[in-house]
Amino acid sequence: MRITKYCVVSVFFLSSGLFFAQEAGENAQEVSSKGHYNQSKFRQLYEEFSTPNTYRSASGAPGPDYYQQQADYDMDITLDDKNARIYGEGTITYFNNSPEDLEFLWVQLDQNVRAKDSKSPLRNGNGVNMAYMAGSFAQTFITEPFDGGFNIDWVKDSFGKPLSNTINQTMMRINLPTPLKSGENISFSIKWWYNIPDHTVNRARSGYEYFAKDGNRAYVIAQFFPRMAVYSDVEGWQNHQFWGSGEFALTFGNYKVNITVPADHFVEATGVLKNRKEVYSKEMMKRYAQAKKSYESPVIIVTQEEAEAKEAGFAENTKTWSFETAPGQMVRDFGFTSSRKFICDMQAVKVGNNDVMAVSVYPKEGNPLWEEYSTKAVVQTLHTYSKHTFDYPYHKAISVHAKNQGMEYPMICWNYGRPNEDGTYSDRTKYGMISVIIHEVGHNYFPMIVNSDERQWGWMDEGLDTFMQYLTEQAFGKTYPDAVAPNENYPSRRGAAAKIVPYMAGDQSAIAPIMSNPENVYQLGPNAYGKPATALNILRETVMGPELFDHAFKTYAQRWMFKHPTPEDFFRTMEDASAVDLDWYWRGWFYTTDYVDIGVKGVKKYYVSSQASKEMQEYMEARGVTEADLPPLVYLASEDSANYSEDLKGKAPSDISQNLKEFMMDNMTEEERAQVKEPKYFYEVTFDKPGGIPMPLIVEYTYADGSKENITYPPEIWRKNDDEVKRVLSSQKELVGIAIDPKLETADIDTSNNAWPKKEEQSDFDKFKEKVKGK
Amino acid sequence: MKKILFAVVLLTMSFTAAHKFYLSVTNITYSEKDDALQITVRIFVDDLEDVLYERYGLEAYQSTGAETKPLDAYIERYLRKKLAIQLDGQTMTYSFLGKAYEEDVVLCYLELTDVGMEQLSTMEIRNELLTDLYDEQKNLVHVKWKGKKRSFIMIKSNAKGMLNL
Repeated sequence: MRITKYCVVSVFFLSSGLFFAQEAGENAQEVSSKGHYNQSKFRQLYEEFSTPNTYRSASGAPGPDYYQQQADYDMDITLDDKNARIYGEGTITYFNNSPEDLEFLWVQLDQNVRAKDSKSPLRNGNGVNMAYMAGSFAQTFITEPFDGGFNIDWVKDSFGKPLSNTINQTMMRINLPTPLKSGENISFSIKWWYNIPDHTVNRARSGYEYFAKDGNRAYVIAQFFPRMAVYSDVEGWQNHQFWGSGEFALTFGNYKVNITVPADHFVEATGVLKNRKEVYSKEMMKRYAQAKKSYESPVIIVTQEEAEAKEAGFAENTKTWSFETAPGQMVRDFGFTSSRKFICDMQAVKVGNNDVMAVSVYPKEGNPLWEEYSTKAVVQTLHTYSKHTFDYPYHKAISVHAKNQGMEYPMICWNYGRPNEDGTYSDRTKYGMISVIIHEVGHNYFPMIVNSDERQWGWMDEGLDTFMQYLTEQAFGKTYPDAVAPNENYPSRRGAAAKIVPYMAGDQSAIAPIMSNPENVYQLGPNAYGKPATALNILRETVMGPELFDHAFKTYAQRWMFKHPTPEDFFRTMEDASAVDLDWYWRGWFYTTDYVDIGVKGVKKYYVSSQASKEMQEYMEARGVTEADLPPLVYLASEDSANYSEDLKGKAPSDISQNLKEFMMDNMTEEERAQVKEPKYFYEVTFDKPGGIPMPLIVEYTYADGSKENITYPPEIWRKNDDEVKRVLSSQKELVGIAIDPKLETADIDTSNNAWPKKEEQSDFDKFKEKVKGK
Repeated sequence: MKKILFAVVLLTMSFTAAHKFYLSVTNITYSEKDDALQITVRIFVDDLEDVLYERYGLEAYQSTGAETKPLDAYIERYLRKKLAIQLDGQTMTYSFLGKAYEEDVVLCYLELTDVGMEQLSTMEIRNELLTDLYDEQKNLVHVKWKGKKRSFIMIKSNAKGMLNL
């Protein structure tokens, strides 16, 4: 008897959950009896991730056999300002550090995306329009397309003999006579030229802007020379064509580049300027020496008056500017800018033990905005990014003003933000400019140094960079409160959870998972920038907390500094360094197009009762036991059940339940009993989750006396039931309200189900209507 | 500066890192309470600026950032040209309630009253916003009525969507 009794009891105690599960189970059986694979959203990502190996460890760090190739470039470049052409001749020395022999090499010819016969314009479907703008019609159907592809004069081996090669669109295969053995290197030379495009017309990443008023051009030149493709343990040769959206995958190496330009041009570029004394005037040298010691404010190197004076002329003679990467300074690419219109200012920045020069280069059309804010934005970027990753390892960071541009290269980047012709500008222009400078200078960290494969994974640099951009913008607002006044904080466009809601809630047929190739997504902006940045921001602020997140993020940056990480290396490191299981988070936010929607479905009130409920009585009868057979039990009654009566309200449980009173008498001292505060109200709250992503359940309970209690249930609360979960809450005070995610931290796409009692919330539309009618 | 705005360029394949994408989002929600279609249109402010300049020569904002006076009238004029709703084959006239800003987006509020939803069988939407400026423009339209939802992606060569109510 005793044994039976205790069996019944233990089953009972195990169990309000069990009752529920059994019922649900029986019902479910009627619908389907099929088995299934593991569908838990908390299962590990074994199927999505590749198996760790000696190149890449399970921890997310580079493995003991990790290797990467190296490509050194020695180039002579000539800029023909009259004809807007660029000529180059250069030697590439390629080091095969892989354990394999290579039968051929792949070289990237990015400018061929602009060749007359480029397939890039043919990759998108289109239909006949109802009407065309005349200019557009002419460009589409009548005029010859601009020929901006590479003209390769020759490819030669180190003995000057022609080297066999095959060009397939934007990729050139160098056909080696004998395989390049593991551990060996090879040198070969290429001579080339191409027509520089007007980047303001076709929104190219590189080109010139023509200033009709003074007849001058400002050049921002990049992906302009044949560049080695990446060979790695993950992709083999990354020779996916350059179609336009997927950016670059590049090998680290050393650069030695001589750039010959009209003598009146001012040039800045990747690398250390080796012949500053030859190309700077005495006055400029003096100012430069001053700038090296000026840590508080920028020093003007070329003034606006000096630049304007040069605009009137056109030097027939040339000057050669020599740039070289410092020994041991790894660089994955090279870009430069050149014009006689350029103004330049510089400010010294201390980053850890490194002396860095923050540099801004702009034509007068950028002023007064540029002299005011560009260098400030560069300095803030160096400080904030370095704090979260590693000390900026290069000796300079340059922000160049080019209309409509926002594009990054090692040490140098092009940025938009132009005032009106009378020098005035709107807030939108100002914040747009500061934000883009932070973003592009920030790209020095991702992907210039933490060198992910942009061609395959746009989000790895854009998402991480946009996330860091958000932190930096907020820090900028703190450093320069006057610059953001009357706003209290910097008005960031992306980062805050609520900002991604319209995208996440959008039409599923126009959304791709973050883990997609940039060529194949519908909305690259939110897909590669906004959503991953927001996902990281939520991860930092709400899921992991800044302390755990920041350490893990920094670990990732330092492990992969000057190396080639993959998404898995990032995902694994974030867990490895924090002990937070995040597979569910990566799955929901990065591998699917699911969204967050969590709500409160219902609240049931209970009171302690001296009588068993009807269900309990039936349960006992079915098993042939009576109350007398069982140990002392305490019962709860809901307001609609038979064992409820009005007089249970507001009483202490021990005043109602004799069993509880006796238990307390037997097990607690008089003093303990006097101190104990018995809850008078019991609530069973049902939360539901229409959205696919499991998230922490953030709940704010409000009581009758106005006090609030915040409880965050971990995301694992959803692990056994992805749709619905119940919690019992006991309190001395009456519960009057429940709010889910009250601070809008989770990007919940539908907040109409976030409150109990349900608030008849006035729609935004009705609010707006009321406001305008009230006017 | 804005004079040579080549709307469409065949070679326009490259996006820059902080690049632009051409998108607007229109929500059409039926309010049973008011028997009205409540319409919100989200357009990037700079796109709006560009199109008003190209079509009407209007500088939408003064250098201080302040709006040029008749801006609302121009926006309304443009919307009426490019966004049309037909109910049972009949083109309806909506009222322009006004606009609000959300960072770099301008949010226009339109309302179509006395819809008589019960008697209706079809709704046709034509959305050509900004397709006069950008060939790549995509206009998303989400319609919600009586618990039902339908979404369209409208492009220049296919700017109409029809639904059975």
